[in-house]
Amino acid sequence: MSEPRWTPYAVLAAIILLFALPSLTASNYYIAIAISGLIFLSAAAALNLVYGYAGLLSFAQLGFWGVGGYCAAIAVMDLHWSFWAGVLFAGVVNVILGTVIGVVITRTTRHAFVVVTLTFALLASLIARDWIDVTRGPLGIPGLPPPQFMGFIFNTSARFYYIALVFALLMLAFLYALMTSRIGLVLKAIKQNDPLVESEGISPGPYKLAAFVIAATITGMAGAIFAFHLKVIDPSFLDFYYMQTFLIIVIIGGAGSFWAVVLAGAAMVILPEALRFSNELRMVIYGVVLVAVMMFMPAGISGWLETRRIRTLRKALR
Amino acid sequence: MEISATYLLQLLLNGLMLGLIYALIAVGLALIFGVLEVINFAHGEFLMLGGYAMALSLPLFGLSYWPALAVAVVVTSLIGVVLYECFLRHIGQKEFERSILTTLGISMILLYGMQYLFTATPMMVDTAYGFDGVEIGSIRISVTRLIAGGLSIAAFSGLYCLLKFTQFGRAMRAIAQNREAAMMVGIKPRHVARNAVALASALCGLAGAALAPIQLLHPAMGQAIIFKAFALVVIGGLGNMTGAVVVAIALGMMESWIGGFFGIVWQEGAIFTVMIVAVLLRPDGIFQRGSMRVG
Amino acid sequence: MSAILSVSGLTKSFSGVRAVQNASFDVEDGSITGLIGPNGSGKSTTIDCISGFQRLDAGRVELGGQDITGLNAASVARAGLIRTFQNVRVYDSYNLLDNLLVADASFRDTNWMDALLRTPSFRRTRTKSQDRARELIDLVGLTRLIDAPATVLSYGQKKLLAFAAAMMARPRLIVLDEPVAGVNPTRVNEVAEILRKANATGISFLIVEHNVEFINSLCSKVVVFEQGTKLTEGAPEQVRNDPRVLEAYLGMAPAAVAEAS
Repeated sequence: MSEPRWTPYAVLAAIILLFALPSLTASNYYIAIAISGLIFLSAAAALNLVYGYAGLLSFAQLGFWGVGGYCAAIAVMDLHWSFWAGVLFAGVVNVILGTVIGVVITRTTRHAFVVVTLTFALLASLIARDWIDVTRGPLGIPGLPPPQFMGFIFNTSARFYYIALVFALLMLAFLYALMTSRIGLVLKAIKQNDPLVESEGISPGPYKLAAFVIAATITGMAGAIFAFHLKVIDPSFLDFYYMQTFLIIVIIGGAGSFWAVVLAGAAMVILPEALRFSNELRMVIYGVVLVAVMMFMPAGISGWLETRRIRTLRKALR
Repeated sequence: MEISATYLLQLLLNGLMLGLIYALIAVGLALIFGVLEVINFAHGEFLMLGGYAMALSLPLFGLSYWPALAVAVVVTSLIGVVLYECFLRHIGQKEFERSILTTLGISMILLYGMQYLFTATPMMVDTAYGFDGVEIGSIRISVTRLIAGGLSIAAFSGLYCLLKFTQFGRAMRAIAQNREAAMMVGIKPRHVARNAVALASALCGLAGAALAPIQLLHPAMGQAIIFKAFALVVIGGLGNMTGAVVVAIALGMMESWIGGFFGIVWQEGAIFTVMIVAVLLRPDGIFQRGSMRVG
Repeated sequence: MSAILSVSGLTKSFSGVRAVQNASFDVEDGSITGLIGPNGSGKSTTIDCISGFQRLDAGRVELGGQDITGLNAASVARAGLIRTFQNVRVYDSYNLLDNLLVADASFRDTNWMDALLRTPSFRRTRTKSQDRARELIDLVGLTRLIDAPATVLSYGQKKLLAFAAAMMARPRLIVLDEPVAGVNPTRVNEVAEILRKANATGISFLIVEHNVEFINSLCSKVVVFEQGTKLTEGAPEQVRNDPRVLEAYLGMAPAAVAEAS
């Protein structure tokens, strides 16, 4: 699907607006929402690469998110590394973890894939709770210090916001370049028709593995930054709630469509906050939306638009 | 550590109990998968709903155990029918991911809806049996636990007879084995599938109701167990009910024994590791896949 | 003339049932060879085994002298043997150009850094690849629909697209699984013409097809399968008059055929 011609201008306008946001509002509350939104969006875009492009419904993202958060927190608190080294450390650990898990599970059946990724996510949350020597158990690791750079301390929401913003923009730019490249083209081909891909001389395995590892890494680093946004990490960091949020963003926008997922991410973060629902009610609404989308437009909003486009095209050809 | 025979027996009984409860949940999942090829993410919430139905109806019957249990089973099976008629029926056989995401959404609605209504605070459930216990030798077992164990065994015997000897059971096995052929001989897949989902939900509701007086009740109780149940069903061979039951009981035992000797820290971690390895080694399950052999 | 494809002793069974037994045949370099036989005679299993989609139990497959026995499907394709599918397969949501780009190994195998950064060398490769894709789409007569998603194509058009994608991979041999089954009879000759043009550029063909006229008009050699093994082979007119072939197809002795007619 081709994007509208005005896309670059819209993107430029959005970026300028995002950079100006802290000077537009003094409310730490809104800034905090924006920070969560940017980080969730990066994680959701990574999930879009795995599920939307490679067709792998991975629940392991939650595990990578948690592992990333804990790695960064432990690196800073126990190893006394800087925040930046902590985030990098989270990325490296997830590259290794993603490769080890990915090598094995990209070869199994799709049923086994779902179950194993889910089990991995749960295992991660159990380790967070039970391996008290390292993770400090249910109490978690409080008092994560604000990041510093050359003497500048990111100790206010507005300052931390720029870390989240730059990270999200870098990750989204990278994912955009990847998804619109030949790699994205082949990934989506694999999702559409596995035997055809093989008959054309492509081994799907390495592509799927690459998508899985890249997504694991981005999700892990997003988790690392989010932990420092919360300033505390405990086992609730691995609550299934986060996975559900990432999934909702991808599904509503339409798995496999870059811009649709970005827009859906923005909408799904801003709307419930603007309407001030309680946490439970928000999740109920997410659930209703998920079921409704699956029932009435299983390919998401972008898929629904595409189907309409194809229908008119068919009519025109007749 | 001094290991007494009593302690071992206690672990064995605990493990058996746990395994039977897992089995009630897993067998329903396997049943739904066998007939519909759907992994039901909302299955754990049926457990929770069964528990809450029990807890809420107990006061209506003056804490009397059996009527409340019956209400819980009927309520969950009805919700199962609604789940099938409104959602699962519209999902095609090959739409595996869609079925997962739909049932995940339903699970979110039920879980957070209940949390909104009843808060996340755990609830104690009291029955007319209270904390009465039965002494067997040197071990003491509470009556409610004993009933829970007995109920599961009774449920499995009932299920076995149902699948083996009734028209409904034969139709269900026929569909699981060969859908087209079953339709040709006049079996209506829609009826069979609806009954299968209702039956699976009822079993899960039964498990929840039996668990309610034993454990604390809270909205997220289904989530903790359901993910284990998924793994059980895959290890047991998707859609293979016997496999699911055997693996469930084995897992319950293992969990109890590991917990008994190595402490809680290792208990669940070890179980999940075992599950991951088992699924990776045999992605199609330890038992033969798909055939709904009950015997 | 040397053989581009050489199959010897191919054997494959499914849970005890022999689907193909000890089949041997060659496809000459530059030729169009037909593979015919009644339903269930093992043709599809044979091409699945040759193209790496099924693991064969015994036998040997050589492509231009290179042993490709037991390679997986992707490796067989990279060695230069491309197959199409009986129930046509295309990337439904991609437009025709993208359908062909995926199939082009020279585009696919560009350095990934170049691909991410869209360097000039990557763009040159892409432009070249797109030009070639346009030529092939023109060859199969679908230029009008080049920007449409493949899902809007008719069944016959999808078969042409699948053929163009096979050509895009620059194969030495294309194995076509029923290229004109389900195609409008008035278009069958067009398909034959397209195949002849492609053949003239040096690509060899092995065609599985039930349409005997189509096979006779195109093929220099026909291999006949029956009950999982090769019954006979030879020039089309020679095979057509072979009493064993008539018996295999019609299920009666040639004498009976003669009486009946």
